[in-house]
Amino acid sequence: MRILLAEDDEALGAALRTGLTAQGFAVDWVRDGHAALREAQQAVHEALVLDLVLPRLDGMQVLARLRQQGLPTPVLVLTARDAVPDRIAGLDAGADDYLVKPVDLLELAARLRALVRRAHGAPQALLELGALRLDPAARAVWLDGTPCELSTREFDLLHILALHAGRVLTREQIESHLYQWGQEVSSNSVEVHISNLRRKLHSGVIATLRGVGYMMPRQIAPSAP
Amino acid sequence: MMRPALSHGLRRLKRLSIQSRLLLIGLPALLAVAVAAMVWTWLETRHEINELLDAHLAQATAVVVAQAGVGHDDDFTTAPMLHRYQARVAFQIWHHQELVARSAQAPAEPLAPWGTVGRSDRELQGQSWLVFSAGGRDADIWVHVAERASTRDEILHAALRGAMLPWLLALPVLALVLVVAVRQGLGPLRRLREDLATRDGEHLAPLPETDLPTELRPMVQALNRLLARVGQALAQQRQLTADAAHELRTPLAALRMQAQVALTHPDPAQRAHSLQQVMDACDRMTHLVQQMLSLARLEAQGPASAPPAPLEVQAVTRQVLAELGPLAVAQQQSLSLQDQAPAWLAVPDWHLHMLVRNLVDNAMRYSPIGAQIEVAWHRMDGRLCLQVQDSGPGLSADEQAQLGQRFRRGAHSGSRQQGSGLGWSIVQRVAQQHGARITLQRSPALGGLQVQVCFAAAAPPQADSAA
Repeated sequence: MRILLAEDDEALGAALRTGLTAQGFAVDWVRDGHAALREAQQAVHEALVLDLVLPRLDGMQVLARLRQQGLPTPVLVLTARDAVPDRIAGLDAGADDYLVKPVDLLELAARLRALVRRAHGAPQALLELGALRLDPAARAVWLDGTPCELSTREFDLLHILALHAGRVLTREQIESHLYQWGQEVSSNSVEVHISNLRRKLHSGVIATLRGVGYMMPRQIAPSAP
Repeated sequence: MMRPALSHGLRRLKRLSIQSRLLLIGLPALLAVAVAAMVWTWLETRHEINELLDAHLAQATAVVVAQAGVGHDDDFTTAPMLHRYQARVAFQIWHHQELVARSAQAPAEPLAPWGTVGRSDRELQGQSWLVFSAGGRDADIWVHVAERASTRDEILHAALRGAMLPWLLALPVLALVLVVAVRQGLGPLRRLREDLATRDGEHLAPLPETDLPTELRPMVQALNRLLARVGQALAQQRQLTADAAHELRTPLAALRMQAQVALTHPDPAQRAHSLQQVMDACDRMTHLVQQMLSLARLEAQGPASAPPAPLEVQAVTRQVLAELGPLAVAQQQSLSLQDQAPAWLAVPDWHLHMLVRNLVDNAMRYSPIGAQIEVAWHRMDGRLCLQVQDSGPGLSADEQAQLGQRFRRGAHSGSRQQGSGLGWSIVQRVAQQHGARITLQRSPALGGLQVQVCFAAAAPPQADSAA
């Protein structure tokens, strides 16, 4: 998977190139905005990792010009600006995802893979979270190598949580995802399905934060703790 | 078209120096008083001169009539000239309609028509005359005494010249005195300006408040209060910078040491452990820098110009708790938000974010693994209160007193999680900016610390109440 990295800081850029290469990416590294724009226009990369503060041409401007030219390459923005308006501005300008510095290498690699998958219209990759394995195409789930019988709704719910593993999803977020997938779900039924899932798999698969939301850990233990 | 010109003129008037203002009002006023005084002198002198000379004329006429009646004499006489002013005076004495005596300048025909009594104004030989006429007891004697009208004007002019000269001399002198007085009066202001102009950003000592005119004293006192506040803020900022440098140096030293161990240690397990320590030190520093930025941003902000739009607190709180959730799950802590009806606060959302984040972060940090943390909003006495309670060890009275001292961490921080020592400062700053009250107590339900922050509740936004 060939990606373009635009980062002007030598130490961070070198570390990202080494780390992402070790994660299986082929990395082209540029150090200013003009170079980033020129390289991205070649359209040979599957994703662009863009630092917002770049010399010669600001990252936001690079992004805006790429989108003006209708370039579809997915863009992940790296920013030291964590203020909410900055994040919104980045996404509005056409970024597909953002990470606030300092970034975790493994998270960056995972998000890049997800971006590329989505860009190819193939979000149906096999998901593995420790002892839990989920195949969206076959709509099948294995825990500790053993297949589990789930209803359609339960599978969709588990799928959504697995896609956002490591992050807490509020009930509203889960409902809106289900709605996008063409399902009407009352808030009560989310709770019912979650409790069914916890019973059918084990309670460690989904953590409940009462009044806040639900979260699936990135690493799921083989059996109930 | 008139309006811009007018407002421009008004603006220029407002920019006019105080000295010019005083002179602009003072000098014309002085001139007006002088002119009024001169006019008054003119009128009064003219009136008095007329009265006096009329009386003299009448008196003279009466004397002549009396004498003509006593010493009866048919000889015609011309009176001799005795004074230079006599040329301006004339008389005639008639007896049985015959001229018996006259002064040298008097004509042969009657000075006034026969039978005229008292004063009359006549035109004789091309000149204006004032004539006084009177008859004797039997109307056989008739006397006219006349005086040239221009005489009076000359006297009047002479009197007036005498009266006006001092005024004309005094006017420029008074103007000069006025200018000097204004300069002198503005002296304290000029000295104040010079004192302020020579100061640099470091010199914030108060200005002297003694020996000041009463008009300036309140201004200087207000200025001194401002200087004191600025000085305090500056000292605080310096303290923060110094503390921050120290706080950053410690994790940096640890970072360098651990990295060096990882580079040089022969045991791969020890190398991996050291590298993990490097990661932890980085996370600590990231958190510290984040907190310092938050605090700086809060303190840089002056009082809000307009109250922000009402914010639904439940949704914002859920958002923050969702962000903190993964850490709570990792620490096997149960984090929950009590369900409530929607409620609104007029605060910027990032303020509420920081408040909730820091309170809950503190509760998680200083509570053991497996602890319970409960967050709730509730109404109390018309106020809207955020309540965060935990099942941790709580705070002693001593520790409560030390809360909010920057970079001082809780005694229970232990080795598990190190805070930045800034969280409580941030909480206090947010509460202070919105007039919220913070209360601390032992949590009746969970046994640990319970923090409550009470705000004045805001009305729901218009769109929502209409819906």
